Amino acid sequence: MKLKRNRKKTVSARLKNIILSIILPVTFLAVWQLVAVKLNNPFLIPRLEAVLNRLTHPFANILETGSLLFNIGVSAIRVLMGFVLATLVAIPLGLLMGRINLVRRIIGPFVELFRPLCPIAWIPFAMAVFKTYTVVNLFGIRYSNTIFDTIQVGMLFILFYGAFFPILLNTIDGVLRVRDIYIESARVLATPPNQIFRKVILPAALPQIFTGLRVGLGVSWMVIIAAEMLPGSDSGIGYLIMYAYQLAEMDVLITGMILIGVVGALLSWFVQLISRPFVKWQALER
Amino acid sequence: MSNPLGVSIKNLKKIFTTDNSDALVALDNINLEIAPHSFTCIVGATGCGKTTLLRIIAGLEQPTSGSVFIGKEPVIEPRPDTSMVFQQYSLFPWRTVLDNVAFGLEVQKIPKKVRYQKAMQLLAMVSLTNFARNRPYELSGGMQQRVAIARALAIDPSLLLLDEPFGALDERTRHRLQDELLLIWEKTKKTILFVTHNIDEAVYLGERVVVMADRPSRIADDIKINIARPRNRLAAEFVDTILRVRAVLEQTMQQDNKEEIIRQGGKNEKIISSNDISCCGR
Repeated sequence: MKLKRNRKKTVSARLKNIILSIILPVTFLAVWQLVAVKLNNPFLIPRLEAVLNRLTHPFANILETGSLLFNIGVSAIRVLMGFVLATLVAIPLGLLMGRINLVRRIIGPFVELFRPLCPIAWIPFAMAVFKTYTVVNLFGIRYSNTIFDTIQVGMLFILFYGAFFPILLNTIDGVLRVRDIYIESARVLATPPNQIFRKVILPAALPQIFTGLRVGLGVSWMVIIAAEMLPGSDSGIGYLIMYAYQLAEMDVLITGMILIGVVGALLSWFVQLISRPFVKWQALER
Repeated sequence: MSNPLGVSIKNLKKIFTTDNSDALVALDNINLEIAPHSFTCIVGATGCGKTTLLRIIAGLEQPTSGSVFIGKEPVIEPRPDTSMVFQQYSLFPWRTVLDNVAFGLEVQKIPKKVRYQKAMQLLAMVSLTNFARNRPYELSGGMQQRVAIARALAIDPSLLLLDEPFGALDERTRHRLQDELLLIWEKTKKTILFVTHNIDEAVYLGERVVVMADRPSRIADDIKINIARPRNRLAAEFVDTILRVRAVLEQTMQQDNKEEIIRQGGKNEKIISSNDISCCGR
């Protein structure tokens, strides 16, 4: 009921809000176009329409690296694989560490040893150890003619590393923060420990676990762009913008940047969408 | 329906150890017999150990020595024939009101249809049928505590423990819920043990009021209340009983103060305030 009252804004108020929020973006685009026209140097600042032209042709082959969509797709699949692997390890481990003091005391300090080390710092190490092995090579196949040929084991390792810690720490914290009163309410109803875990601790910790997933996915998306820029990479959106830089194709470079931002926001929104039914109660509980 | 059971508390002692390893005696040699079907109120100042006593009976906490029997069996852990309602709002916010009430039955793997039917009956008893699909945070404090009582009753316990369940409510709501609780008791005839620091509440509800004092924590008085129901808060009998309980409580507090002064004047040793004990009890 309370929410509905907020939504009941007058049309003029809403219009005012829209106008206020687009002043700066429009100014920004105008200044960009003005500078581009004045400078007249597409190798430094391309015109708006050049970037728009790229954005409206997502299937066109760019600089012989494949289409925009292909490169975005390669990056997204790399990130999702690394992220899913990290989730599969970090959530069960986090639940265990949050619940059992002994496990937390053994693994906690070890985790803290690695956590401050930025995932990007692992890139040279990963390149040295995993070389250019792809996921397909792991299964003893040399070449599969699928998108998996573009997923290097070293990249997966770094993506896993990047997503792992936010998910793990948020899961542990979520479990530790479950209010005692919920656990005791279940205990006085003679609830056995395994059901307390499933029906009380897990749902109570879920909002924070989802926060960890969102942060973890965000970190993965940042890390993949960096990883794809390094030598040895031959596809992905990060590779595309680095390659565009080397060829001084500024319109491609900026188009790539825009897409990285958009996909990053989409990924975050997607996790939020999935989490909504599980976390709604926390936002509404005062 | 399971048979209401009595409670016997024998030589119960509970000592908490604080962080700086001081020992706090929360309960010292408590003996109490509670008859089946009875409605007993335990009244005492904050920190006299009444919550600790209730938590031990519920099986949430272990006594240092002595024992509690429900029926003939000793309490070792929370039992399906005992249920408890807490002072704090304790409903699961991620569940609907109906699923909160049905929780205890769900744990016992009772089929969905059966447990929802039972939960709806209980919601009808606390007049909240219309809120079955709502979430706890959409309910007022008084409504939440009524749901909490329904949730505790769902597993059909023989013994219902209530730890200041109406403590956070305004007076009018509290009085209404007291009457509702009496109706439930008359309908189900469960053994009820009700802890409160509110003398009026204890005398209004109980067939028997046990007054607890602290330092040393003990039972200071045990009063049978024979006032006919519905009880009139303005009747002479009622007021006299309240005054009697208050006199006992004030006497024990004066003793405490004297002891504190003596101790302070003496070796200036650390005085353990009643607040410390209640913290440990949580």
